[in-house]
Amino acid sequence: MEDGLLGLILFTMVVLASSQVIMRNLFDSGFSWGDPLLRLLVLWLGLMGAMVATRLDRHLTVDALLRVLPPALQRITRFMTKLATAAVCALLAWHSARLVAIDYEYQSLVIGSIPAWIGDLILPIAFTVMTLRLVLQAIMLFRART
Amino acid sequence: MIASSLILIGLALLGMPLFAVIAAGALYGFHTEEIDLAVVAIEINRLATIPVLLSIPLFTFAGYMLGESNAPQRLVRVTNAFLGWFPGGLAVVAIMACGMFTAFTGASGVTIVALGALLYPALKEARYPNNFNLGLITTSGSLGILFAPSLPLILYAVVAQQLSLDQPISIDDLFLAGIFPGLLMLAVLAAWAMLVRKRSDNDATTTSFTARECGLALREAIWEIPFPFLLLGSIYTGLLAVSEAAALTVVYVFVVEVLIYREIPLRNLARITREAMVMVGGILIILGVSLASTNYIIDIELPAQLFETIRENIDSRWTFLLLLNIFLLGVGMMLDIFSALVILVPLLVPVALSYGIHPVHLGILFLANMQLGYFTPPVGLNLFIASYRFNRPILELYKATLPFFFLLLGAVLIITYWPQLSLFLIT
Repeated sequence: MEDGLLGLILFTMVVLASSQVIMRNLFDSGFSWGDPLLRLLVLWLGLMGAMVATRLDRHLTVDALLRVLPPALQRITRFMTKLATAAVCALLAWHSARLVAIDYEYQSLVIGSIPAWIGDLILPIAFTVMTLRLVLQAIMLFRART
Repeated sequence: MIASSLILIGLALLGMPLFAVIAAGALYGFHTEEIDLAVVAIEINRLATIPVLLSIPLFTFAGYMLGESNAPQRLVRVTNAFLGWFPGGLAVVAIMACGMFTAFTGASGVTIVALGALLYPALKEARYPNNFNLGLITTSGSLGILFAPSLPLILYAVVAQQLSLDQPISIDDLFLAGIFPGLLMLAVLAAWAMLVRKRSDNDATTTSFTARECGLALREAIWEIPFPFLLLGSIYTGLLAVSEAAALTVVYVFVVEVLIYREIPLRNLARITREAMVMVGGILIILGVSLASTNYIIDIELPAQLFETIRENIDSRWTFLLLLNIFLLGVGMMLDIFSALVILVPLLVPVALSYGIHPVHLGILFLANMQLGYFTPPVGLNLFIASYRFNRPILELYKATLPFFFLLLGAVLIITYWPQLSLFLIT
């Protein structure tokens, strides 16, 4: 579902972006909502990509030190960093949910008549999913150890 | 503040994802300043306000598609047909092909996997010394990040633009500035390859130059050959913005590799999309949180303080540059290029400006150093990728890459201390 949505966003992005280029250069026109929508899609794509990166444990990290640690110690540090990351993501989820609430209250708009809070919605969703995934991964690590 | 930064660095070294480390820093920082933490969410949201970011998912996707197709084989065949006939030619082919491929696919390790697997056996068969082959392939994995439209160049411009400097930085300037430093690196390696070739035994095989093979190779790659020229041409002439060019790149690569050559079955596209978007997600999330941390460090005027501290100890620009080289080499060993960019550029650019260093020049020397970091022993990333890929012990890789390391270090020093090499195309 997540992967499917990612594909859909990327597909929309490619089609919209290339048709904008063609219309702009050949016909000197284009959709006025095209560019803001494309920028919003970048945000959605980035955060969904981050969700998948969390699932596959493929975030950018410094693993130089980790590579030389003995396996037992590696598991402990991985457990700890997972929980710490989960805590950070939980905080981000909370504060971005507040942002959505604020935008909802002020009825601000992002593209044409689309309310800004819908555009922001991906932030709390992504960070909540990431938090849950990290906690799950930490639990798995813990259970594998005992 | 020092204690909290040390804790963060410690967590990063223990393998905490860097986006979380940066986010934690920003959250903590704004918290101590008693600023509403929703500001962090607002800053991440700004990913939706920077038009050129569109090019990142698009170029990455196109790059992953190219890596899955047989484009690398065709690229090697064409370069080999034209360059393979002179002594050392095959090694030069490897260098050129890797450089070009990395520029188009971003410095994501794709090059070693896609091209290394192809070139390593070929070099071996042509009886180049084994250590040389290993070293060359490992080194070439990061070659080419100075050429347009590489993602690190784009990202540097994006991050530097967030600082609202007096001296505006454009992506086009960086694309121009990278050309000669990038060529210098290619030339140094090519010269070394020819020298090694001359020293080693002469029973070696060089392919002979035939017009026929050139024609065949060209014909095989007929759909791909116009593409780099069209892409670079449209960017350098200003006909298309970078993200527009990226969109057309995806369409072009899709049509050629999936529909014409039919080398990527449609069912594989889902996997390629996911692989590419994991990479994109990793880059964008780290960029998003770093917009927040950058905002914070500008708020507390950290770059100015940093400059004060450094200036008390170093007053010459040249000493500063030397220390910067050493520092960046160390960083390049530990951090991938994208994380290093978003973390360090906001701090370094203002300081370097105060020393009278042009921000575009700083970008080029920053990336050149980072490129070296990829294979700086003992922990450069490409050393491990190559060790794994070619199933050689890591110590052998250290030994094999050492001459390449010193050669390119020389090139990096030239790039650092000769600003005009980067700047003379820019007005």
